[in-house]
Amino acid sequence: MKKNSKLSSLYMGIIFFLMYMPVAVVIIFSFNESKLPVRFTGFSLKWYQELLGDSAMIEALGNSLILGVASCLVSAVIGTLGAVGLSRIHWKTKSALEYVSILPLMIPEIILGMVLMAFFYLLNIPFGMLTLLLGHTVFCVPYILMEVKARLAGMDPSLEEAARDLGAGSFRAFWDITLPLIMPAVVSGSLLAFAMSMDDVVISIFVNGPRISTLPVKVYTQLKTGVTPEINALCTLMLVFTLGVLAVYSLAVWLLKRKNRLFSIKEK
Amino acid sequence: MKKSTVIALCAALSVTAAAVPVSADSDKELVLFTWENMFPQEVLDGFEEETGIKIVYSNFDTDETMYEKLSMAKGGDYDVVIADDYIIENVVQAGLAEKLDQSKLTGFENINPLYQGQFYDPNNEYTVPYGAGIPLIVYDPEMVDIEIKGYADLWDPSLEDSIALVANYRVINGITNLMLGKSMNEEDVESIKETGEKLLELAPNVRLIQDDNTQNALLNGEASVGFLYTSQVTAALAEYPELEVVYPEEGLGFGIMGMFIPSQAPNKEVAYQFMDYILQPEVAAQCTDFIGYYSTNKAADELVNPDLVVPDSVKKGEIVQNVSAEAEEQYNKNWTEFKAACD
Repeated sequence: MKKNSKLSSLYMGIIFFLMYMPVAVVIIFSFNESKLPVRFTGFSLKWYQELLGDSAMIEALGNSLILGVASCLVSAVIGTLGAVGLSRIHWKTKSALEYVSILPLMIPEIILGMVLMAFFYLLNIPFGMLTLLLGHTVFCVPYILMEVKARLAGMDPSLEEAARDLGAGSFRAFWDITLPLIMPAVVSGSLLAFAMSMDDVVISIFVNGPRISTLPVKVYTQLKTGVTPEINALCTLMLVFTLGVLAVYSLAVWLLKRKNRLFSIKEK
Repeated sequence: MKKSTVIALCAALSVTAAAVPVSADSDKELVLFTWENMFPQEVLDGFEEETGIKIVYSNFDTDETMYEKLSMAKGGDYDVVIADDYIIENVVQAGLAEKLDQSKLTGFENINPLYQGQFYDPNNEYTVPYGAGIPLIVYDPEMVDIEIKGYADLWDPSLEDSIALVANYRVINGITNLMLGKSMNEEDVESIKETGEKLLELAPNVRLIQDDNTQNALLNGEASVGFLYTSQVTAALAEYPELEVVYPEEGLGFGIMGMFIPSQAPNKEVAYQFMDYILQPEVAAQCTDFIGYYSTNKAADELVNPDLVVPDSVKKGEIVQNVSAEAEEQYNKNWTEFKAACD
């Protein structure tokens, strides 16, 4: 077994290297002197300076973050409730309902975008953050719904029934028993939804309206005139931020575990 | 979860919803709608300082998206739009563009007549050109043995697996048409089929087809010949001045970007002010140098990078126009087969 695990580690190493090489190249070229990513002509921080001075880009980043958080919160609520509801009904149309609920994932984004735009015009809704939020929620809900549904299927129904038996109302039973049990699924679904929302270009372009821009739209619409290493700098910063958050989270978990272990030792 | 946490979350949600910007006071604003990075920051800042009008810069990625959004808005929402020539034809036909009141544009005479009177705006009523592109052949003389003079040379067997092309189906079909002595806007389907067959013969020479940053393939040595858009030619020459630029002898295809005012623009007065500002020679020169397209403003020609002024010898150019649906379909077929053959 020893020989196998060395070989498999090596294999995994190669795969990771190939996967992350492009990311490494992006980071390296964010420090490039030249505007074109053809040769590394010299070390320079000017793209970071340009990025920090680019208020339109920063504003777009802010909009994307706000939109991501808002849409993942809203779709978490809708998705969780939907999944719980779907798990309780036993109608004949149940499978049709399940199919419809994940339909937004199957429709091509550009069609969804155009349809949403036409729909908002029909209802005369002013375009802006509201329409962006609605549009993003549409395609974020299925992610959470699927995750929570899967988690609910694996959950023991007798737990909730026991709570009901002991006198809890249906809301209390959901809130205090079911929800904590499905919380990991809700959180992971929300993170996925947040990533999808941050990433979205096509739907955002159609429903954003003239005044608001999200980050991916701003970057994508630069393609015609040429993308500068300012984007590389942005990517590097976002990567650093994400890794930082993960590092802090892991540290917190590790510290918590240590505290618990000390606690249980003390109790003994 | 405690009730207080729930209330806090609800408050956070409602604050986010309230962050919806209320539609701003629109008489001191210009809503600009075009690709990102079409203007140097100094030009936009200069306009804001001079007039006190705030610029709201909205973007689209393709002309088709622009057309969809504009038609949905029934010509409203945006004050100034810059897009490619062929889509402006559709915009004008759909009645979404405003007839320009030339008395409000003092710089109108600055426009280079070479770029006026085109198919999309034959009487110059709706648009002001903002830069023209002529896709050209660019090659590295050290890596290429033959002397390239026209499109026909691209088919030379010595250029196997060494050409980088832009991904525009009309333009690539078009240069094949020109090479066969036909018009860029050939409409006869049988004739287009012949073009398709000729195009397939080019496939072995093609190294890659890519619409953005095609010049990078030339600069990093992956390809030795490139057929590039004007801004890419400018970028390539800036990095590596020894590259040879060819104005193909069979004729040129060019495209013009046009600036127009939508018919229901919220703030037409401001739109005219902006258009006039862009027509001033110094501003036009700054814009042209920034985006790397050919200057369409005659008065700005002396102030611009000399590579961006079309030489007088170049008069024989055909603009890529919209063609009939059947012709489009055949061009698309040619392109799909060509791309498949290139892989």
